[in-house]
Order: sequence, then C-alpha cells, then structure tokens
Amino acid sequence: MAEPIENGENPLNIDGSNFNADMYLECIMKHTTLKQVMDKEAEIVTQSQFLQSEMQTLVYENYNKFISATETVRKMRSDFIIMQEEMNKLSENMNKITSFSAQISESLKESGSNVSRLCGTRQLLDKLQFLFLLPSQLNNAILEGRYVDAVHDYTHAQRVLQKYGNQPSFQSIQTECSEIIYGLKKSLRERLLNPETSASELAESVGLLRQLQETDSSLRDIFLNCAESRLDQHLQTLNSILESADIIEWVEKCNNTLLADLGIIVSCYHEMFQDEDTSNIPGFADKILFQVFHLFEEVSKRPENVGTDILIRGLDKFFRKLQAMKEIISSDTVSEKAVNVVVQCISNKATIQYQTIQTQFKESLMKVRQSLASKGSESSDLKDILNSLQVYLMQKVQASLLDLMAFLQNNLSFGLKPWCAKAVADSCWKVISETVINLSDMVKKMACLQSSNNNIPFELLLILAKLCLEMQETGVTTLHCHLIKLLEESAPGLVVENKDTNSVMVHLSTAAQSALDSEVVFIGQTAAQMLRVSVLARDWLRAPEPRGPRAVCRRVVETLASADSAASQLFPTSIKPSSDSSRRTIWSRAPSSFSPINRIFSERIEVFSPAGADRAALSNGALKVALKALVECVRLRTFGRHGLQQLQVDVHFLQQRLSCMGNDERLLNALLEDALSSAQLRCVDPQLMEPSIVDIICERG
Amino acid sequence: MEEGNSIIYGLEHQTRALSPQYGENDAIRFLIGTQSLKPESNQVHVVELEEDTGALHTKVFKHDIGEIWHLRCSPHDAATLLTTHNSYDPNTSQCTMGVSVFKLPTVEVIPKDLDDLSAIQGRNPENMELMTTIRPEAIGEKSKSQMALIGTSNSLPILREYPNRLMAEWDGEWPPGLMSVLLIQKSGEEIRCGEWHPTEASRIGVVYEGGVSVHDVTKGDVVATTATQARARQNLTGGKWNPHQGHTQFAVLQDMHIKCYDTRTDCTKPSWSIDNAHKQLARDLDFNPNRQFHLASAGDDAALNIWDYRNGREPIFSRTDHSHWVWTVRYNTYHEQLLLTGSSDARALLTAAASVCKDLDEEAAKISQALEDGVLQSYEQHEDSVYACEWSASEPWTFASLSYDARLYIFMIIINMMEYCSHLWDGSAKYLLDALDRLQQRAIRIIGDEVTKP
Repeated sequence: MAEPIENGENPLNIDGSNFNADMYLECIMKHTTLKQVMDKEAEIVTQSQFLQSEMQTLVYENYNKFISATETVRKMRSDFIIMQEEMNKLSENMNKITSFSAQISESLKESGSNVSRLCGTRQLLDKLQFLFLLPSQLNNAILEGRYVDAVHDYTHAQRVLQKYGNQPSFQSIQTECSEIIYGLKKSLRERLLNPETSASELAESVGLLRQLQETDSSLRDIFLNCAESRLDQHLQTLNSILESADIIEWVEKCNNTLLADLGIIVSCYHEMFQDEDTSNIPGFADKILFQVFHLFEEVSKRPENVGTDILIRGLDKFFRKLQAMKEIISSDTVSEKAVNVVVQCISNKATIQYQTIQTQFKESLMKVRQSLASKGSESSDLKDILNSLQVYLMQKVQASLLDLMAFLQNNLSFGLKPWCAKAVADSCWKVISETVINLSDMVKKMACLQSSNNNIPFELLLILAKLCLEMQETGVTTLHCHLIKLLEESAPGLVVENKDTNSVMVHLSTAAQSALDSEVVFIGQTAAQMLRVSVLARDWLRAPEPRGPRAVCRRVVETLASADSAASQLFPTSIKPSSDSSRRTIWSRAPSSFSPINRIFSERIEVFSPAGADRAALSNGALKVALKALVECVRLRTFGRHGLQQLQVDVHFLQQRLSCMGNDERLLNALLEDALSSAQLRCVDPQLMEPSIVDIICERG
Repeated sequence: MEEGNSIIYGLEHQTRALSPQYGENDAIRFLIGTQSLKPESNQVHVVELEEDTGALHTKVFKHDIGEIWHLRCSPHDAATLLTTHNSYDPNTSQCTMGVSVFKLPTVEVIPKDLDDLSAIQGRNPENMELMTTIRPEAIGEKSKSQMALIGTSNSLPILREYPNRLMAEWDGEWPPGLMSVLLIQKSGEEIRCGEWHPTEASRIGVVYEGGVSVHDVTKGDVVATTATQARARQNLTGGKWNPHQGHTQFAVLQDMHIKCYDTRTDCTKPSWSIDNAHKQLARDLDFNPNRQFHLASAGDDAALNIWDYRNGREPIFSRTDHSHWVWTVRYNTYHEQLLLTGSSDARALLTAAASVCKDLDEEAAKISQALEDGVLQSYEQHEDSVYACEWSASEPWTFASLSYDARLYIFMIIINMMEYCSHLWDGSAKYLLDALDRLQQRAIRIIGDEVTKP
C-alpha cells in the first residue's frame, strides 16, 4: 500500500478525521491500476454496508434507554413538588421559633443585669468591710505580734486607700491605718534597737519595714548599726569570758552567738537589699571579724590554752565555722584571714616551743654549771654531761616537731591543705633553726662573758663548744631528716623546699670557735696571771740559791694539765709524735745567740690565735698564752745569779711537765728558750747552773 | 701597699725607749735609749732621716747612769731630754732607778760638709767617746748623798709600799731646793716613766709603781704627789699628761683601769676614771690631740680601745688585731684617724679609726670618708716584741718602731696615703691640690720611684 502510514493529518487515511475524499480519489486514480481501483471500490462498498447495518443496531439499542430516562425525569419532577411544600412549612416554623426566643431573651435580660449588679455590690462591700475592719485587724495583729500579717494586710489596702483617699470616709480609715502603721513602724524600729531581739527577728523587722516602704539607705544604715551593736554585745560577752573559758568553750560560744548572728545578718542583708549595692557588707563583716580574730588570738595565747590538743580542737572548730561563713560573706579577706589565723597559731606555737626549749636548756645548763663548779672536772665525766645535754636538746626539739605535726591531722578542717602543711614545715624548721641559733648565741655570750668575769667553769665552755660542733656535724642534719620524715608521714605529697642549713651551721661553728678561743685564753690567762704575778712580785736580784722549782710552776702545770685532761675527754687526741727530743736541754744556747738571725729561721708565734678543735691544739693555745707572758714578764725584771738559776730550774721543770701536753714541742721549747735567754740578758751576773744539777733539783722538788 | 718604704737601723743592745724630738719642726729625728745591764755601756742614739736622700744619720751619746727604760724629749727645747733609768750597784747588789734631765750639746746630726761626713764614717768605732759630749746637766754628789739618805732611812715596809707618802713625811727635813736633779730615791721602788708637762718647761710628772709626783726640774720641788689607794695595791704601769683641760690633769694606768688626777688637788680621788678599760693589764694610753675627751688605750688583752672618758663604761671604738699584748699606742698628730700600735707579737699596726672622728673640717672629713675602720697596714718587719713606736714630730706621714732586739724601722706611708686620697683630688680646692702635689713630689724624690712620676 502506498498510502502514508500516518493517521490524523494524513488526508489520505480513510479512518482519519482529516480524510479528504477528493485527494484520496485522485491519489488512487494516479497510483493504482484499474484492477486495483476495482478492488478498492468493492472493498469500500462492503465496508460501507457493514457500517450501515452496525449503525442501525446501535440506534435500536439506545432508543430503549432514552425512553426509560425520559420516564425517570418525569417521575422526579413530581417528587420535587412535594418536597417544596415541606420545605416551606419548615421555614415557617423556624420563623416562629426565632420570634419566641427573642421574646424570652427580652424578658430575661432585666433580671440578669440585676444579679450581676448585686454581685459587684457584694464584692465592693466585702472590700469596704475589709477596709473598715483594717484598723482593728491591724491592731489585733500587732497585739498578737503577727507583724507579718499586719504588714501584708496593710500593703493590700494601701493601694485602694491611696486611690480613694480623698473621700471622707476612707480618709479617716487611711489616717487611722497610717497611725497604726506608724506605730507599727515605730515599734519595729524599737525592736530593731532593742538589744534583746534575736538576729532573725531583726531581719524580719527590717524586711517588714522595707515592705512598708522605708527608704533603703537609712534602713540599711539602721540595720547595720543595730547589727553592729548586737554583735558588739556578743564581742563584749566573748571578751568577758576570755579569762574564764578555755578555748573550746570560747570558740563554741563564739560560733553559736556571734558568728551565727553575723551569718544571719549578712544573708538577710543580701536577701533584702539584693538589688542594691552591697559593697559595705564585706567591710562590715571584716570589721567584726577583725575583732573576732583579735580576740581569738588572745584566747589562743592564754597560758591554759597552750596545750596543742586543745588549741587544735578549738582552732579546728573556729576554722570550720569561718569556712562556712566564707560562703555567706563571700569576701576574700575572710578566707585569707582564716588562713592567717591558722598560720599564726602554728607559728605562735612554734615560737612557744623554741622558747620553752631555750629556757629548759638554760636551766639544765645551769644545773650542769653548778655541778661542775661544785665538783670540779676530775670527778665529773664531761662526755656524759655532753651526751645528756645533746640528747636532751635533740629530744626536746623532736618532741616539739612531733607536737607541731598535730596540726596536720587528717580529720582537721585545715589539716590537709597545702598552705597548712607549708606553714607547719616552716614552723618546724623555725623551731630547729631558732633553737640552734639560740644555742649558738648563748654560747657566744658565755664565751664573751667568760673573758670579762671568770665565773663560768672552763669545762662548760669545752662542753658547749663540743656540743656546737656535734650539732653542726650531725645534729642539724638529723633534725632536718627527722622533720622531712615527719612531714612525709603527715602530709604525703607535700614538696618541702630544702632549707638553708648553711647559715645555721655557720652560727654553730662560730659559736664553737669563740667558746674554744675563750677557753684557751681563759686557761692561758689564768696560768699567765700566776706567772706574771709571781715573776713581778719576786726579788730576783737577791733571790736565794734555788732548791727546787717554785710552787707557782706546779700550780701552772696543774692548771694546764686539768684543762688538758678535760679537753682530752671531749676532743679527739691526735696521735702524738713520740720523740725523745723533749729531753733535750735548752740552756745550751749562749746568750749571744739571742739575735734576730735565730728568729728569722723560726716561725712567728701567734699567741692569741683561733684554737683548733682538738686536744693538742687547745693545749698548745693555752701554753702559748702562758709562756709568752712569762717571757714578757721576765724582760721587765733584773736578775741576780741565783735568780737566773731559779728561773732556769723553773723553765726546766715546765719543759719536763708540759712537754706531754700539746703536740708542738718546738713551740714549747722556743718559748721556754726565749724566757731563759731573756732572763740571761736581764741578769747582772749571767751564770747558768750545771744541767745535771738542774735535773736533780727538779726531780727532788 | 709597698713594703719597701722602710729604713732599718740596728743597735747593739736591747732597746725599749724611743722618742721623737718634739721640739724639732723640720728634721725627722728620733732618740733611742738602750737597755743593757753592763755598766757604762748604755747610749742614747739620735737618728735623723735625711728626707731627700733617704739616708740615716746618727749621733751616739753616752748614758752611763744606767739602762734606759723610758725616754722623752722635751716639747719645749729640742736639745733637752728626760730618761728613766735603772742601774745596778754590785756593792749593795741593788738596783736603783731614776729620772734624769739631759741636754744635748747640739741637735745637729747631719754633717755639714763632706769632710765631716767622711771623718765620721772613717772613725766610727772609737768616735763614740769623742761624740758623746752629753752629760746629765747637773748631776752631782749631793743628789747621790740624798739617795743614800733616803735609801738608808726607808727600811720600813710601809714606806716601801707608798713612796710618795714617804716623801711627804720627809717633807719637813727635806733640804729645800736641794733636789736640783731629780734622782729619785729609794731602791726597790720602780719608776715607770717621766713625762714633760705640755706647757711648763720646767715641770715633769713621774710615775712610780705606787704613785705619781710632779716635780719642778729647775727648783727641784715636789709640786704634787698622788698615791694609789692603799687597799687597791695595784701598781701603776704608766701615765701621761692630759693635753687638754688646762694641762693640770695627769692620767695614769693602774692595773686594768685608767685614772686621771688633777695635780692642783690633793689627789686623793681621781677627777675621772675608766674602770676596767681592758680585760687585762692596761699598758699605754694616748690622748687625742684634737678632741679633748677622746683617748686611746692599749693593754694585755691585745685590744686597742678608744674612749670618750665622759662616759667610760664602753669604748667608742675597739679593735683586737694584735695577737699579743699591745705595749704602745699613738695618735697621729695631724690625722687623728690614724693610730699606731706596737705589740709583743712583733708587729706594728697602722689602724684607722675614722668612724669616731667625724664632724671635723672638710679636709679631715674627706680623709675619714676615704678610710674604713680597721687595720690599714701591718708592719711585720720586726722579729721581736715592739715596745715602742712613735710618729715623727715634724713629718705626719713618718713613724718609727723599735723592737727589743734593737732594730729601729722608720716607715713612710706617704705614697699609700696619697693612694687613699687619690679619688678625692677631683674638685679639691687649689691649696689642697698644691699641698698634695708637693707631697707627691717629695715622695718621688725620697723613694726615687720612676713609676709614680706623673
């Protein structure tokens, strides 16, 4: 088929809506053969016939339907007419109902308004009654003390009264009320000023007054004034029981009265004046607390409260309360001060501790001194005394350290705070260092005193010097270690900065040195004095022939020996070089050898020089002082032959007896030689005795 | 500090006595007395330092009257001197002490011309006799007889103890005016020293073991005496006139104390005293030349103390720098801040006490500022005890120290002082700078040190 496929537009499509019969014919005519046209014609004819018959069937069928539909429409029309009628009836009825209801509402309207007016009147009357009763109510309330109700009622009524205050009837009520309220205010103010009222009542009163629209600033001032006067009263009470109560009682009393009230006052103040500037409250609280702290300090210093236990308990309570107060007052100074109070207590305690240690040590020293003075050094064991003194001192210090550790107990409110631990550590170190420094000062003072008046036994000086040295060597470190151990136990984790032990050590060593120097000079001077007096008093010019060493030489030897033996008890004996040179006689030197040349080769002798801390050095020091004095005194005298020989004997005797002391024989010999050669120079007839005779005389004597 | 600025002079015998020539204003001259028990062997040496050349010139005079314990030149006459001496008489086997006044024939020491110089140097040993032209001015037989008179008549022990009472007792029989020479009296009584009165040329104060007496040299009268209190029994060790307070006070050292008597009174009671001035014996004292209430003292406790005697409880300045007894202390005559001490530890120390010498005139204040309290210099050259040291009377920066082993050192601290003050030169007044300049030139001349030449 040549026809284009497309339907619709294609005018050649016979079934399409745009079918153009002419074009179709023409197309067929042009393109097809006759046969084909013939066929086409036949086909179309059959198709047309078919369509004709089909259309006829359809018409028949639909015709029936049309008839039934027409019938239905006719039926409906008749039904609608009935309905119309009923509808009309309904609308009629409705109209009737409307009119009736209008009528009813018309008739009810009047009584309703009456009822509502009655209600309003009733309310008004109630209010009026309240107003009229207000004065008496107020009075009643005030009489019964229900100030809160009274003020509540009044504040309610006040607005009305203010609004209608110009009406005569209300005016009287208002004035009456104002009077009552004025009275109330007055009584409230009186109550404020009355010292009997409690803090809560006070707060209540001020609250009420504030509701009654008192001006704030004056109220605040009054409030604070009243509060202050009341707190002052507490303070006075506390002050008065200062003498009688112990610290726990006092702290309880303080907590329950003063601090409790202060808390109430401060919190009330915040509540009431919260919107306003509250800057003066911390100042106020600080002022009060300052006095409290002051009182507390006094209490804590009272002698009956010295006991650590009681002090700590009191302090703990006080501190707890203060911690609580800190929340209320929210002032930094309070917490700061609370901390300060604790620290202060600790350091006070430490001060008391080391002062007691000092006085006790002094006492024990006095005892030692007396026993030494009465017994003398031979009978008393210096080592024992030293040990007992040292042990005593160490124990005292350790006990006081332990005592101070009580401040670090776990159950205490401040026990675990690092600042507290630090304060305790500092105080403990203070106890140690102060004790040591006191000891050194005391030793220095004694050494100084010794040289001016001689009533301190030299053994004591030796003991003290040794004590200082021992403390320097071991004591301070032991105590320091002990302290660190204690701190670790009580406050683990606390970092203690290392204390400067050096300055303390310096104190000790200088004290020891001055004590030793003083002892050496004392012994030396004692011997020197004996020699000086004996040399100066004697008439050497006309002296008799020597029969033995003079008595004073024995005494000098005894003095030096006793000092030496005392020193040997305390100070280590360095190994003495054993030599027989001590037997060397020293008068072999001719007087002509007395010349500077000899001295050039010998060392210069420092007489008053610092003494070393060992037995030989101490003895050397004393020997130097004594023998140099002998030399100088000999040079001031003039000797006869026998005088010179007497001195020769003396010198020999001294050499024999003193050579066992000290370790510097060269020094001893040099000084004795000097004495003898000086005497030779000062002799009018310088003839020495035979050494053998001198030996014999010395042994005989 | 330079140690080299010292000149040494050696003697043959032991020496204790040293004195500057107070009456001399130009030459640096010191007198030394020897102490020897050998008869006829004691001498007085006059030593002069020639500043320009640094050479020492000496003259030696005989002192046959005995060993010299103490020597003082008169402040009124350069040629006059006073010795305290002791001599041994083998016949009685007694020692006799005395105080004598001598006059040198000439004060000149440095030879005038070269001939002289060579003559002296050439004939040194035997020249001694030639040169010792000095004799005690008026020692005579009279006084010797007097001595005997006293010596024989004072056998009572009480008289021995209180010699001045003795003199008082003998007052009636004392031939008036006979004591033309003060040869004083009994054996056994020791004389400590004689001191010239600061203003009256004829008056001297003599310190005994047990008292003080004031004598008139020309008339021989005893002007005043004082005895130590009987119960004290503490011997005197020395004494000095107080240069202030109208020259009537004489201060003595009694044991550990310092006591000052007014010679116009009966001297029963000291007009002031410093008790326990030292912890041991007090050995010497010197008055501050400028401050009338200040004095320095030294003693066996090795301390140098400065006192304001109006309040004598505590020293206003105290140092213990020596290591043995301090035998002598001297204020520098021009600079009261500088003190010289000599000790038996064989040292002389130059100590500054600036802190107690404030509020003076500007120049002194500057020096005080420049100095710190304490030892400025320790002079260690001596080998034996230094019993005497003295500032030169004419040259404030020169001093001499004398040790027992007969060594005299003359030290010049001029360079050092210039160094101390050098930072003060800036802004000084011209006259000050000129003075310093002169000093420096002189120093360079003396030392001959090229380095210090500007």
